[in-house]
Parts: sequence; C-alpha cells; structure tokens
Amino acid sequence: MSTEALESMVGGEYKYGFTTNVEYEEFPRGINEDIIREISRRKDEPEWVTEFRLEAYEKWKQMEEPNWHNVHYESPDFENIQYYSATKKNNGKRPESLDDVDPEIIATYEKLGIPLQEQKQLQGIAVDAIFDSESIFTTFKEKLKEEGVIFCSISEAIHDYPEIVKKYLGTVVPKGDNFYAALNSAVFSDGSFCYVPKDTVCPMELASYFRINNEQSGQFERTLIICEENSKVSYLEGCTAPKFSSTQMHAAVVELVALENAEIKYSTIQNWYSGDEKGQGGVFNFVTKRGHCRGDNSKISWTQVETGSAITWKYPSVILQGDNSVGEFFSVAVTSNRQQADTGTKMIHIGKNTTSTIISKGISAGESNNSYRGQVKISSRAENAKNYSVCDSMLIGQTCGAHTFPYIESANPTAKVEHEASTSRVGEDQIFYLQQRGMSEDDAVSLIVNGFAKDVLKELPMEFAVEADKLLGIKLEGSVG
Amino acid sequence: MTTLKKKEQTFLIDLLDFQDSLNGNSEFVDNVRMKGADEVRNTPFPHSKDEEWRFISLRDLYSDSYQHVSVLEEKDPDLRDYFLPECANSRLVFINGVFSIKHSSVEALPDDIVIDSLARLAASDNPLVKEHLNKYTTFEGDVFSSFSDAFLQDGAFIYVPKGRKIDTPIHLLFVQTEADITYFTTSHSVIVADEGSEITVVEDHIGLGDNKYFNLPVVEVSAGKEAYVKHTKIQRDSQEAIHIARTSAFVEKHANYESYTITIGAKLSRNEPRISQRDEEVKFTVDGLVLIDGEQVSDTHSVMDHRFPHCESHQLHKCVIIDKAHSVFNGKIFVRPHAQKIDSFQENRNLLLSRKGLVNTKPQLEIFADDVVCTHGATIGQLDEEEVFYLKSRGLNEKQAKELLIYAFALETIENITVDSVQKLLVDEVHNFTERQLHSEFTI
Repeated sequence: MSTEALESMVGGEYKYGFTTNVEYEEFPRGINEDIIREISRRKDEPEWVTEFRLEAYEKWKQMEEPNWHNVHYESPDFENIQYYSATKKNNGKRPESLDDVDPEIIATYEKLGIPLQEQKQLQGIAVDAIFDSESIFTTFKEKLKEEGVIFCSISEAIHDYPEIVKKYLGTVVPKGDNFYAALNSAVFSDGSFCYVPKDTVCPMELASYFRINNEQSGQFERTLIICEENSKVSYLEGCTAPKFSSTQMHAAVVELVALENAEIKYSTIQNWYSGDEKGQGGVFNFVTKRGHCRGDNSKISWTQVETGSAITWKYPSVILQGDNSVGEFFSVAVTSNRQQADTGTKMIHIGKNTTSTIISKGISAGESNNSYRGQVKISSRAENAKNYSVCDSMLIGQTCGAHTFPYIESANPTAKVEHEASTSRVGEDQIFYLQQRGMSEDDAVSLIVNGFAKDVLKELPMEFAVEADKLLGIKLEGSVG
Repeated sequence: MTTLKKKEQTFLIDLLDFQDSLNGNSEFVDNVRMKGADEVRNTPFPHSKDEEWRFISLRDLYSDSYQHVSVLEEKDPDLRDYFLPECANSRLVFINGVFSIKHSSVEALPDDIVIDSLARLAASDNPLVKEHLNKYTTFEGDVFSSFSDAFLQDGAFIYVPKGRKIDTPIHLLFVQTEADITYFTTSHSVIVADEGSEITVVEDHIGLGDNKYFNLPVVEVSAGKEAYVKHTKIQRDSQEAIHIARTSAFVEKHANYESYTITIGAKLSRNEPRISQRDEEVKFTVDGLVLIDGEQVSDTHSVMDHRFPHCESHQLHKCVIIDKAHSVFNGKIFVRPHAQKIDSFQENRNLLLSRKGLVNTKPQLEIFADDVVCTHGATIGQLDEEEVFYLKSRGLNEKQAKELLIYAFALETIENITVDSVQKLLVDEVHNFTERQLHSEFTI
C-alpha cells in the first residue's frame, strides 16, 4: 500500500472556495459596548435582548481564552474582527419574497446546490439560508405554519415571538457558559429558530445553510430549537466558506430543548474552508452546542460530519434530566493537511433510566491532529443510567496524530458505563483482500474508509446522507481518480 | 482561607527544615539532597486545577503538620507474620525508612548479585550507586520526587549481573510503626537487571498501626537488554496513611517488565507507574488491583510511553469500591512518531458497589504513528444480577454468590503473580474485603 495513494485520498480540492461579489454595509471592527448596541439597533431589537448581549459582554470581558484543548493556533485578535456584516441590498431588512434578495446571493446558493426557489427544491426540506450575519431567506415557511411549526431566523423570532424566545434563550447554554459562548451571546448575528408545538411531527426536514463570504467578519450564529410535548423534528445544518489566506472565526451557540416525549435530531455537515496545505487561512470553528432533555422520555440525537475548518472546537452535549431520556452522539471527523480538531461530546445523566450512546470516528491524515474529548457523568440520582461509548481513530500517514481523552465519572452504583476506543490504520491485509477481488488500490482504500465511518453515516437523514457521501467523496478524491 | 492556601504552597518547603535531622552520608548523597531541596523550592505544589490532580484533593496531606520519621525512637516490632516463606533468606526490611539488618537476610541469593541498603552502599561510595541512582526516573518537574531526593536516605539497591537468572523471589518489606506524632518518610529503591538476567521482586508496604503518616516511596527499575523483571507491589499502609508513590521503569531491547500493583491500604494513595520503552521489540505489563472502602481514595496515573517500534504492552486496572471510597484512574498510552508496530492494550474496570462511592476514569490515547493497534476500554458497573441469580440457583446463598463474583473479578489481576504466598495473601485480602463489603451500610 503506497502512502501516496492514501495521502492523495484526503487531498481533494475544496469546491466551495469561491467568493460572491456583494457590497457590504460599513461596520466598524472590534468589540465594545457601543458596537454591541449598534448591532442591536441595526437589528431593531427589544431592550431585553440588548441587555442580554451587554450582560454577556461583561462576563466575556472577565473570562480567559480556554487553553486546555489539544489544538494550537495563534489567538485571534478580537479587536480586529468585524462582528456584524450586512449586505447593502438587504441592510438589515428582511426580504418579503425571493425577489427582494440579491440575485448574486441566490446564484451563490444555487452554486452550492441549495436552490432557494421552492419549486426547484427537493420536496420535504425547508431551508433557512444564512449569509454572513444575516438570514437571507427561509423557504416553506407558510406551509410549516399550517402545522403550527415556526421556522424562521432568530432575529425574526425575537420580533414576532418574543415570549417564546425570552423563555428559552440562554437557558441551555447560559450567557457566561464559556469564553466563546459568552462572546456569541454578546454579538450573535443570526441563526435559525424552530418551535414545534405540542403533539406535532414536523412535516418536513428543516435545514440551515451557513455561508461565510466576508473575509473581514466572523460569523456568530445562534440557533434555538424547541420541541414541545410529544413532538418531533429533524434539523440539518450545512456550512461552507470561500478560500481566504486569512482566518475567519465562527463562534456559534446552538440550544435544543426537548420536553416530555419530544424528539430532536440534529445533523451537521461542517465543511468550512480548512486552510491550505501549509495551514494558511481557514475557519476557526469554536462552537457550543447543547441539548437539554427536560421532559421524561425525551430524546436528543446529534450527528455530525466534520470535514472542514482549520480548527474545530466543538462538543455537542446532552443534559439528560428527564427520566428515561435518551442522548445520542454520532460523529465522523476527518482532518487533513494542518487541520486540528478537538471534538467530542458530553452526556450528563441526571434523570433515572437515562441512556446515552456515543459513536465517534476520527480519521487523520497529512500533518493533522484529531482528538476525541468526551465526558460521561452519572450523577448519584441517575438510577440505572446506561452509557455506551466507542471512539475509533484511523491514521493515514506517519505525520498525523490521533488522541482520545474520555472523562468518565459515575456516582451511582446501579449505572452502567462502558467505553472503548481503538486506534488503527487501513490494514494492509484488508487492501490486499479487496485487491485480489479485483478492486484497484484506491477503490479499496475508499471502501475501507467508508466502511469505517458507516456506523455514523447511516444515522444521517436520507436527504443529507447523499450530501455527506458526496462530501466524503470530495475529501477522498484522488484515490478514485 | 488565605492561610490554608499559603500552607499548601509552602507545605513541602517548610518540611525541608528537617533535612538537618538526616544522617550525614557521602558527598554524592549530599549533592542529591541539595539539588532536590532546590527543586522543591522552585516547583509549585500541585493544585486541584492541574489536569493531573483534578480529581483528588491533597488537603488531607498539607493541612497537617509533620515531623521527619527520624525523630521516632528505634523500634523492634515482631514482623514474623509479614514474612513470605519463599523469601526467608532473600529479604530486605526497612523499619521507618531505615534498613534493619536484624530482620534482613540475603543468604539464598548468589554472591555476584549486589543487594543491600542504599544508605550502606552510598556510605561506602559504591560506584554502582553513583552509576544508577536517578538514571531511570522520568519525573522531571515533579515536586514529590524532588522532595524524595531532598530526603534521600535509604531504600533497597539491587543489581543483577549479566545473564544471572534468579528463581528465588526477593521481598522488600517497608514497615511503618505506630506513633503519637504524624511523621513523613521517604525511601528510594533501585532495581537494575543487567543484560539477560531475571529477577522477581515483591515490594511490600505495611503500616503496623492506624496512625497517620506520609509515605513517599520512589522505585526505579531498569530492565536491561533481554532481561526479565517481575515487580509486584503491595500497598498495605495504615488506613489513615497518605501514600504517594513514584515508580518508573526503563525497558531495553527484547526485555520484558511485568508490574502488578495492589492497593489495599492508605486513606489517600497515588500511584504513578511510568514505563518507558528504550529500544525496539520490548514487552511490558502494568496491571493493578484496587480494593478500597471507608473513605479511602485511590488514584492511579500511569504512563506507557512507546518510543520505538515493535512493542507489546498490556494494562488491566481493576477497582472494587465500597462505602464512601473514591477511585481515580488516568492511564496514558503514548505512541511517539515513528514508533510503528505497537500493540497496546488498556482496560480499566470498576465495580462500584456502594451508594456513596465515586469513580473517575480517564483512559487516554495519544498516537503519532499510523501502523499501530491501540485499544482502551473502561467500564463502571456492579455485579451482574443474572450471574448472582445463576449461582444462587446452584445452591449458593447471596453472600457466597457475591463473594465468589467479587473474588473472580479480582482474581484476573492476581493470578499472574508468580509468588504463591503473595497470591494466597491477596486471596485472603479479597476475602476480608468482601466480608466488609457485605456489612457496609451503603451496599446496594
């Protein structure tokens, strides 16, 4: 097995690296109270949101950048980031119909494979398109409304449904939860909001598509999903960014709330620009994602395919408070070139009979480093809690690293916790076997890697699985061609 | 609060005053002590915010005031119960950190092996001591090993020459006596197995009373080329003691190092076995068994450092926790760049049998080479009800069934110990422990 073939596998060209020419509103760089008030003013927010932002900013000022993670990078200059980026055409106003949206942007999404015209779309997916700091357009809004499902941008929700937003915003990820969550709470721009009322199964898949286009700005997405009693929703998220030689920051906060018998499935395909072979450019992805199983018998499931970003720092977690609640985490993280990923999950068992499953697959190549960091905590009240974790790593080449840091704590003797991890590489014998069955070496490697990630990929919703396959295909390109 | 905090920072530095009470030895030893003392002054005391110390509190250690063990009167306890029959004439005994010639005997061992008290060898300027002391440690920047250096006095020194295979196991018995004062004691042992030699060592720490003391043993092992070293450590310190141990081993080409650490005693114990692969094609084992009850805290932080290609390593760490005991495990497997063809296995299994018990475990892999097979696993749970039921259906009562299952759980780590009397002793300990478990008020 030649190492070159393996290495070329992960060296596929980044297809989403183009830039869209749009005119931006002037907005000063840096962060201070005035800037935060200005963001709030431009978004025409009520007083309590401004207060929320300012309190978060006060907390953030007191905090230090975390350094416990296993990634190394030059600390971003927080005074040199543009915290808000609006296109001139929209200027903070929400488009009434697609005609109001800059055609350049519509063309961009079309290029990315996400047509915003409803008739062109796959039936069954409603999309919220977010371009830099603004939500551009949300499709199928009316249709969803018939069922009582609210799906819109968070800015819109703050205006139209303040009582719901106020009730839940910051209750899963508090303002001062961590450094990046506090920063996000202070300057968050846009993101998706979804509310599924009682006894409702959301009739279609919901999706957000995040695009960073402005080289100067960061993206501070804020997503809030609430699933009432006996309801169910599946939400997808995709991310891309152009190639710049400088780095961009993406510091998002995602909060999920599941009440009694509710079920939320959250899937991410993260494909931000990862920088070039020398580690120039790329997106710094510092994300706080957390779900709260508040009601009994609720379920939250995270699935992620992480292929992009120069730095990934992301731990989608579940707080299992309701009795019999279920938390799941399925992850594939692929790093190549100089990418660094420190990702994993937290499962906090509080309620009785709570169960959680963690399946994490890390693939590292080039000079990248891929870490799994996870915490499973069983509190003394969590009778009969169960956790099962598997984290497997695969190394391709001799210059990359794979790391596993699982933290496990149990204070309840009736709980069962099982954790296993392994590190290995694409076996010579496996390749040999496939080759003698008539496959080329490249096909064999591709098949083995896909098989390695299969446990996670099969968790993705159908519509997304196609995209994920394509995405892995891009990363794996070169091996097949 | 501020006074306590200050106490924590200066705790070990204050104790350096007792350096004066050490016997003068040789210039070599004096230099080691001086260097150690300097390091203690310049190294911060571990804080619970340090990643390596985050699960336990050292308050029990630093909140007390200690005197050096040398202030105690010389004692001559009856130790016959603690002697191992296999080691009747291959035994070194240290009472309160000082070699006891009366209880020791090495007659069963061949003449060409060097086995003696470190203090005696150092006093006679033995070149072997100078050559090997502190050569096999990997504890740079660790305040406790520096502290041990600052109080370097005695310990076992064993040198097995080339090709010498010793069948008789060697018993190193470290005895702490009962005392009215709270004291601290250190020991430093060196075990060097030269090319092609074989040796079995039982390191045994015993507390005779229920008193509080701080025991800090350092053991360094060199398994030379093609050597085979079997090292069993039994920690039976008093139930109030604090035991902070540093063990490090260098494993050379084609060598095999097996270590089994059994933790039964001490209120707070911390073991840090660090195994360093020094050349290609080696094998090592770092197994452990922890049986704790009451308010005992046992913490194991191990490092398996794979630095060269071709290595087979194994770690099975098992803990049984009852009452309010707290068990901590952090096992690190490092595979350095270019250390290909490593087969490393690590497993931590915890039997949490009480409502008030707590387990923290953090198995950890850090891999920088691609052609390796490294696995780790961790489980926390209780006895399987179905297994208990099955045994009851076979005529055992509940107590017998549970005892049998706990015994079976523990046995896996004991059965590889080759010294029969040690195995028997541990089987008895497991039995006693199970008895206690059945009477614990927190048992589920």
